[in-house]
Amino acid sequence: MSWQQVLLQQLVNGLTIGAVYALIALGYTMVYGILQLINFAHGEVFMLGAYVGVAALALLGPSVSGLPAGLAMAAAAMAGCAALGWGIERLAYRPLRRSPKLTALITAIGVSFLLQNAVMLGFGARDRRVPNPLPAVRWAIGGVAVTGMQVVIIVTAALMLVLLHRFIRRTRLGQAMLATAQDPVAARLLGIPVDTVIAWTFVIGSALAGLGGVLFGLYYSTINFHDGYLTGLKAFTAAVLGGIGNLPGAALGGVLLGLLEGLSAGYLSSQWKNAVAFLVLVLLLMFRPRGLMGEQVADRA
Amino acid sequence: MAARRWWAIGLAVWLAGCGPHEPVVKIGFVTPLTGDQASHGTDMLHGAELAIAQALDEGPVLPGYRLELVPLDDQHNPAQAVAMAKKLVADPAVLAVVGHLNSSCTKPASAIYHKARLLHVNPVSSNPDISRQGFDTLFRICATDDLQGPAGARFAWQTLGARRVFIIDDVTTYGRGLANEFEMAAKGLGFLVLGHEGITQGEKDFTPLLTKVKALGPDLIYFAGIFPEAATLIKQRHDLQISATFLAGDGVYEPTLITLASPEAAEGIYVTALGADIRTVPTAKAFVAAFEQKYGRLGAYSSYAYEATRLAVRAIRTAGRADRAAVLAAMRATSEYAGILGTHHFDTKGDTTLRTIGIFTVQHGQFHFVEVVDSV
Repeated sequence: MSWQQVLLQQLVNGLTIGAVYALIALGYTMVYGILQLINFAHGEVFMLGAYVGVAALALLGPSVSGLPAGLAMAAAAMAGCAALGWGIERLAYRPLRRSPKLTALITAIGVSFLLQNAVMLGFGARDRRVPNPLPAVRWAIGGVAVTGMQVVIIVTAALMLVLLHRFIRRTRLGQAMLATAQDPVAARLLGIPVDTVIAWTFVIGSALAGLGGVLFGLYYSTINFHDGYLTGLKAFTAAVLGGIGNLPGAALGGVLLGLLEGLSAGYLSSQWKNAVAFLVLVLLLMFRPRGLMGEQVADRA
Repeated sequence: MAARRWWAIGLAVWLAGCGPHEPVVKIGFVTPLTGDQASHGTDMLHGAELAIAQALDEGPVLPGYRLELVPLDDQHNPAQAVAMAKKLVADPAVLAVVGHLNSSCTKPASAIYHKARLLHVNPVSSNPDISRQGFDTLFRICATDDLQGPAGARFAWQTLGARRVFIIDDVTTYGRGLANEFEMAAKGLGFLVLGHEGITQGEKDFTPLLTKVKALGPDLIYFAGIFPEAATLIKQRHDLQISATFLAGDGVYEPTLITLASPEAAEGIYVTALGADIRTVPTAKAFVAAFEQKYGRLGAYSSYAYEATRLAVRAIRTAGRADRAAVLAAMRATSEYAGILGTHHFDTKGDTTLRTIGIFTVQHGQFHFVEVVDSV
């Protein structure tokens, strides 16, 4: 391999995981934008997405395979995680709406632990294989190895970002979300059902995380109850990197973080990859506290 | 005579009914029973349970005492291993410990058993430093990594004809130790070592590292670590279309690996194991049959846990007293033990002299025995 091929391969590697980070980061950033809450349970919702996908595939049985089975896995994970996200908001966060922000934050950490341990008890602590119904395709384009799964992940993430962007700009619910994010009190005065809008935010964010979970499981072919923790943390980092509260920023942050990890693992050492990723985050926050695409807005008092 | 026999049976039933009143002696057993390496740990527990059951069938181990196995979980976490060791040491009924899968757990725990003068039989922790601590309480029944590493290197050089190697380990006591032994031996043989890098346990994305490996063009990738990470490495190596042969240490010799990595990606990989295929060892025939009848599939380390537990039982039986010092002395006086793995002699460090390294390969989704590499 020439050095150009190596670099290109590292970019493909980084872009793939970056796309997964981006999908999860969207949920973090949407919830933060509206509630100023870092929903630490979001990583667990992502992890559960993979488990729901596996369960859906098992329910379908061997008669369904190929693309329909893959789509069914994704649909089941999105629906399951959407319901879970709605439940978490309804049961854990809504009763604390008037409590100090710290209370909700600690509750989020509690929900995260609860889900992790529930999955460990329910599905066991071992790595579970995620069977891939999609045909295993591999290409070698100019010496760069690309798998079908990588293409699926990158295309899906891009498609979801575009759809979400259009949804927010074009629909009444999307506009209501923007309004609530800007000022929940004024939004309520104007007759926007703020609680419904918040619930929908969780539903959409969790569905995207669930989709990310299925893609992650299919890509690495295994899933474990603690996979949501580190990946969730990375996606949160991506959201902060891009400017938390900003949707294109979250996607950009995810891709950048993935590339950064890929390059530091490939050219420095794989043990240093997390250190490099978080060092960049620290540096960025020192010089651009609002992230790459974060808007300069005054703090609400 | 018949009446006396009935009396004895009646007494035994009565004693069994009053379990709590009968004095108990215990053998501690510690492996990871939860967590990512629970499958290894549970397979070992089954081996130990079978050993205890068979020993009891052969007659009471210590007359007047009930023998109990105390299974504990170290979660493959050194801190937890130390906590479990302290728990066992604090219970005076515990006369021997069989334990710990991972070298990183065995090493700190062995110091606690040594301080308490408690017999510690280790089944499979292969890091050579464990027996270099000078603990007279420690006995180990497996080959060590200063044999396994060089044996792997020799196999790769002679049989596979590999000349350019990239080494990966999981930076644990076991993985790093084994990888260093392999590297030293490989350099001695004339291998070109292209690099030696660590990965983090629990990580999922090794494609950047493997891309770097691919660019260096090795004909062999050597991995020292445990099967979950190995499965991911093997799958991603396949995805990246790297043609180099994959050789790994005994932590990877576990059938789950093939399911996790997919049989297609695992085809043609090699592993070294701490011994020949147990099915080809004549003295283990009865054990294999009994184990498979009771538990189904035989684990890679089940026979070692069985052997270690039998040794501990034997020491208690020979001592004839519920006394840690007597049990330890009985074990130390053992000059020879004919077990299922072969005949053990113990050297001054407590390591067995029975050391063979077996090579296995994956064909059509299953491990197949290749050959035994002579040690030394």
